[in-house]
Amino acid sequence: MSKDLQSYLSKMKMKYPQHIVTIKKEVDPLSFEVSAIMQQLTDQNKHPIVLFEKTRDVNRKPSRFPMVDNVFSTRELCALALDLPPEKSDMALSLEFSKREVLSTKPIVVNREEAPVKEVIKRGEDVDVKDLPAGRYHEMDVGPYLTMVDIMKGKDGGFYDVSFVKHLIIDSRTLTVSLHHTLRKHLLYILEENEAKDAPTPIVVVLGHHPAFFLGAGAIKEYGNNDYETIGSFLQEPLRLTASETWGDAFLVPADAEIILEGEVIPHKREIQNPFGEYSGYYQPQCLMPVMTVTAMSYRKNAIMQGVFPGHNSHFNMGSIPKEGSLFNEIKKVAPNVVGVHLPHSGSGRMSCYVSINKKREGDAKQAGMMPLLLSGQTQYVVVVDADVNIFDEREVLWALITRLNLSRGVDVIKNMPRFDRVLIDATRPVDIPFPEKNKIPDEVMKRIRLPDFIE
Amino acid sequence: MALKENIFWVTCPKCGRRFYCDKELRHNTVRLLCPFCQNRFLDSESPEIFE
Repeated sequence: MSKDLQSYLSKMKMKYPQHIVTIKKEVDPLSFEVSAIMQQLTDQNKHPIVLFEKTRDVNRKPSRFPMVDNVFSTRELCALALDLPPEKSDMALSLEFSKREVLSTKPIVVNREEAPVKEVIKRGEDVDVKDLPAGRYHEMDVGPYLTMVDIMKGKDGGFYDVSFVKHLIIDSRTLTVSLHHTLRKHLLYILEENEAKDAPTPIVVVLGHHPAFFLGAGAIKEYGNNDYETIGSFLQEPLRLTASETWGDAFLVPADAEIILEGEVIPHKREIQNPFGEYSGYYQPQCLMPVMTVTAMSYRKNAIMQGVFPGHNSHFNMGSIPKEGSLFNEIKKVAPNVVGVHLPHSGSGRMSCYVSINKKREGDAKQAGMMPLLLSGQTQYVVVVDADVNIFDEREVLWALITRLNLSRGVDVIKNMPRFDRVLIDATRPVDIPFPEKNKIPDEVMKRIRLPDFIE
Repeated sequence: MALKENIFWVTCPKCGRRFYCDKELRHNTVRLLCPFCQNRFLDSESPEIFE
């Protein structure tokens, strides 16, 4: 049986029931009820997968689609999605991610009859995306949004690019396609290539699949990579594809998805989108975005729509985990003494980065710390600490910052970078001047003394 | 270093609530969309603009 969202949720209910909550009472996502429930769980420091069994659609009628969110809300859940033990959720998870992202597994093509996503098919005027339980998450969100991944075919149809994109529902068959110039997403390159020829751009929206599908989609790959093959590496099995309704075999779509929207981005057309509460914790301003017309919608009979609660843990982890492994590999090329890389939730999993190193000489920290600033377009702050500091514990990072940072030589502001200035902070112990030693209990005693022997 | 966005605040002439837009929409012929009442209006119709 191929990996999909339904099998994953069944596994979680059976083996890890503490990681999943089922809401049986009906919720109206457009009235912020989904986000209110998830916010209150967050406020209680609870981060389970949340399955909403009964939902209302955009027309505020009972929807046929349940919805699920918070699938990536803890690093433990992300580890489980990749079939790792939950305790391997710190740097081990990021390193596993970086291993899988350089591998590829060729997809396989199956007939429509074997594709669960083809159980229900609607085409043309029969499509109404307002049947979906799309929601507004925050008070100033301008309308109902869909928040998962899009697929486009690259130059001359040579590769499939899969990226996270949000869509504002404008009407039954019209969505915005949120491709910001500042982020330079690959999909924008594809769109611009087609717009240069005044041609529409085929696009597919995937609203639910196994979480490893989405973690693979988050891998930082070069433009031109066939992301279907990378996703197969994350699933650890070939991604099953099937012909689309709109373009047939010329555009293959994930056969085991929950819901798929097919459509075309209209060249040069733009429509209002936002405000929308984003990963930073602030609303993205109203702006103009490309527009797609939905040509077909297909889904499983028991399809579950998947979403990501913006500006919260799932969103942060989707930003951080794919980058940590990649950055570790890149830093290692110039600084072999790197120990770990972490993009914490306090920086929305993107805007700040902690790097730990086995420092040998002055300059090591700056050499290692420059790489995230160069390679991660959303990272404004990098703090480099010694290997004795756990970068997954912000109390320890702040302790290093407060006790080891020499303000006169440890802070560099790199100006005139794209989008914003960057800051590199060296919070490592100096090795060229005398410096106090960190408190420590002798190792031998720590090993010999065991709490259960002293506390019953 | 604070978060930087190139924005201006407008006030919806219908419901009186405020929201903000990217600077590309300033002095633009595109009608803004109020997230609170769905009213469409030009930025020049906003009773107050903070930029």
